[in-house]
Amino acid sequence: MPEVDSPTTRLGADGISRRFGSVVANDGIDLAVRTGEIHAIVGQNGAGKSTLMRIFQGLDQPDAGRVIVDGRPVRFRGPADALAHGIGMVHQEFMLADALTLAENLILGAEPGRWGIIDRRAALDRARQLADQAGVDLDWHQLAGDASVPDRQIVEILRLLYRGADTLILDEPTAVLAPSQVDRLFGLLRALRQDGHTILFISHKLREVMALADRVTVLRQGRVITTIDVGSIDQDALAQLVVGETVEPPQRTACDVGDVILDVAGLSVAGLGDRPALDQVTFSVKAGEILGIAGVAGNGQEALIASLIGLARPSAGRMTVHDEDLAGLSVADHRAAGIGYVSADRAGEGLCRQATLTENAIAGEQRPLAAEARGWLMPGRCKQRAQTIIDRYQVVHGGLGRPVAELSGGNQQRLLIGREIDRSPSLLLIAQPTRGVDLKGIAAIHRELLAYRQRGGAIVMVSEELDELIALSDRILVLCGGRAMGIVDREDASTETLAPLMVGAAAA
Amino acid sequence: MSDAVPRALEDGLRLAMPFVAALLVGSILLAITGRDPFSTYAELFNEALGGQSRIAATLTAATPLIFTGLATAIAFRAGVFNVGVEGSFYLGGLAAAWVGFAWIGLGGTLQMLAALGFGALVGGLWMLLPGWLRARMDVDEVVTTLMLNFIAIGIALWLVNGPLLAAGSANSATPMVLAEARLPRLIPPSTLNAGFLIGLAALVVYGVWLRLRVGGFENRLVGLNPRFARSVGISVSSVILLAIVLSGVIGGLGGATHALGVVGRFSEGFSPGYGFTGIAVALLGRNRPVGILIGALIFGALTSAGTTVQLFADIPLDLVQVLEGTVMMLAVVEAVRWARRRRAVRAVAP
Repeated sequence: MPEVDSPTTRLGADGISRRFGSVVANDGIDLAVRTGEIHAIVGQNGAGKSTLMRIFQGLDQPDAGRVIVDGRPVRFRGPADALAHGIGMVHQEFMLADALTLAENLILGAEPGRWGIIDRRAALDRARQLADQAGVDLDWHQLAGDASVPDRQIVEILRLLYRGADTLILDEPTAVLAPSQVDRLFGLLRALRQDGHTILFISHKLREVMALADRVTVLRQGRVITTIDVGSIDQDALAQLVVGETVEPPQRTACDVGDVILDVAGLSVAGLGDRPALDQVTFSVKAGEILGIAGVAGNGQEALIASLIGLARPSAGRMTVHDEDLAGLSVADHRAAGIGYVSADRAGEGLCRQATLTENAIAGEQRPLAAEARGWLMPGRCKQRAQTIIDRYQVVHGGLGRPVAELSGGNQQRLLIGREIDRSPSLLLIAQPTRGVDLKGIAAIHRELLAYRQRGGAIVMVSEELDELIALSDRILVLCGGRAMGIVDREDASTETLAPLMVGAAAA
Repeated sequence: MSDAVPRALEDGLRLAMPFVAALLVGSILLAITGRDPFSTYAELFNEALGGQSRIAATLTAATPLIFTGLATAIAFRAGVFNVGVEGSFYLGGLAAAWVGFAWIGLGGTLQMLAALGFGALVGGLWMLLPGWLRARMDVDEVVTTLMLNFIAIGIALWLVNGPLLAAGSANSATPMVLAEARLPRLIPPSTLNAGFLIGLAALVVYGVWLRLRVGGFENRLVGLNPRFARSVGISVSSVILLAIVLSGVIGGLGGATHALGVVGRFSEGFSPGYGFTGIAVALLGRNRPVGILIGALIFGALTSAGTTVQLFADIPLDLVQVLEGTVMMLAVVEAVRWARRRRAVRAVAP
């Protein structure tokens, strides 16, 4: 009997295939997630993970093959069907109502009570009971909009448990978390496994897979390469299975540091309440230098980057690029002064999903391009420019006239970084350079950033990946509560030296 | 491009869908009231397009809708839901009529051009306030532009009943404009006039601007994703202000051609809601030049058939209005989809 039909299999795929046009997203996938295990699915962008999860949620239907639950084939018409079978999913974007409290969000859609009156006491009791079981502590009266990212994520998970799910699908759950928050999430997931819950966990981060999962299934180009016990493989071997070849980590070489490019003194940005989002931060970056910005998410990184590109107006302080004071000027002025900007929100801000590759590639440069031809954007010139970027940064695409939304995450990121570096700015602001990008893509992006530094570029890089910051940065500035806690030199940078600063301990 | 044909086909189907649905609803209505849908539709079709004079009447009826549809589309493309084109149309018409009868001595073509230009100018100025409020203060333009319609119509009515009332005239109307200010007729004796050609030219200019000019490019990007536009250095507020004002300019120009080409003066009831039908035209035409033209022609055909058909055939005008209403309702479906997307985009913007 194949494992997928076994009674110990909670959720399975039996020969699932799904194609979109000429692209085969899933090609005969066999998968068996055992009851009570944490099962990881790893693979590059475009390996077929998301399609498979959508099928498990009934958001998409396979062209061939079956979804199996408890040994029996099922057909899900939507997430509600899946939930009725005890299978719930936590998406990367949380789906909480910001204006409701966490407790209200928990019960939303299945409110206890009768005759249309919600029994709030019962709801709160149930909420506390679930949180106790899971070993977490939450302020249930807090509005979801005010709650921290990890708390929101935990409510998403508890909500599924409240609705009776015993099998959880988590899509890149750690992408939005800082290291210490990841530990808390993993503690919760282990506790759930202890209680007999089944967890299917999608991740790019092999280190986390090794730490958490019992078994791992590797997908490549829509096919299952293998399913293996995590205990019987090491991380490097797993990486090789994922990529299908060995990936050389980019070499960081010493390079000459030049003049000061960016000089920031006492820069502050007003926050929503009384506390400033950024509080009197001072630093400078020289040509040929990468300054990393570390910190737990939401501690002023966004305000810093936004004020450096002119999206946020500083409430106090000075920022100069090449001795030109830019504080308070427009984004266009900042860009004209030689600043490139790679947004952390690739799909919402960095690129325009509905616009074509060409339009995205020339955006920001449309005025210089048009100035060559009396305000005309000649299609030939625009395409030529787009083609240059696409060739140089190896963007795989289906046509220059196609919308960017069709590109995979990694290719979108290469297009975005390529567009910003190709303008030859003297300063590059980059936030979350490799979020949602696969292993091969990460190596390519790191190579690109190092090459830019080698050419004398200055970089300010915000990342929630400490490994990435440590691998690339010359110096790392740590932010906590909007304040600079200290700047750590490359030689001293490690998780041990950075972590205390990130939670607000003063520099030694 | 291999996918250009399916995309055009899809657009065509989306444009045709509301009309097909409207015809179905209409045929049910006809069947219930004991009429033969096919012969009725054949008669309607014949009234709208059978012969030169009827085609001319359809094109005349389509002309104001080309302008109001285009005016709405320009704003839509920048992500602005301007429902104030009716107001610009009214004031543009009045302003053009005033120049047409009061600026005596300009003479010749200059009189006509001055009247057209002044109408467009007033239509644009009228949108300055809501444009500024939206661009600088983030005041919702749907509310401001809708309310300004009532003010515009009120101002226009007051003027034609008072200062601009034609001497000796009992009904609320200005004096007739000078002959030099009239737009030339294309196929006399029909009222089809040069306004139709100006409308076509405006559509072409719009299409070229959108695709090939840097301003049109920025306009589109702001409409698609204002956060993105801001982050690449586009001044979102200037683009929005310009789009609303341009929308008013085209609306005013539409009113001017209507006053100088068809009515010959400004009078009460100048527009039977051209500005609002223009919203449906823009939505059905997906804000594209060809789509707007087709949408305006179809509504124009319904209008021109509707006015004559009840005189000569046993078809009530109400049927035509049911058809129009059904098309409008389905256009609203498109509007709601559009507004949802717009809200989603604005919700994430700071």
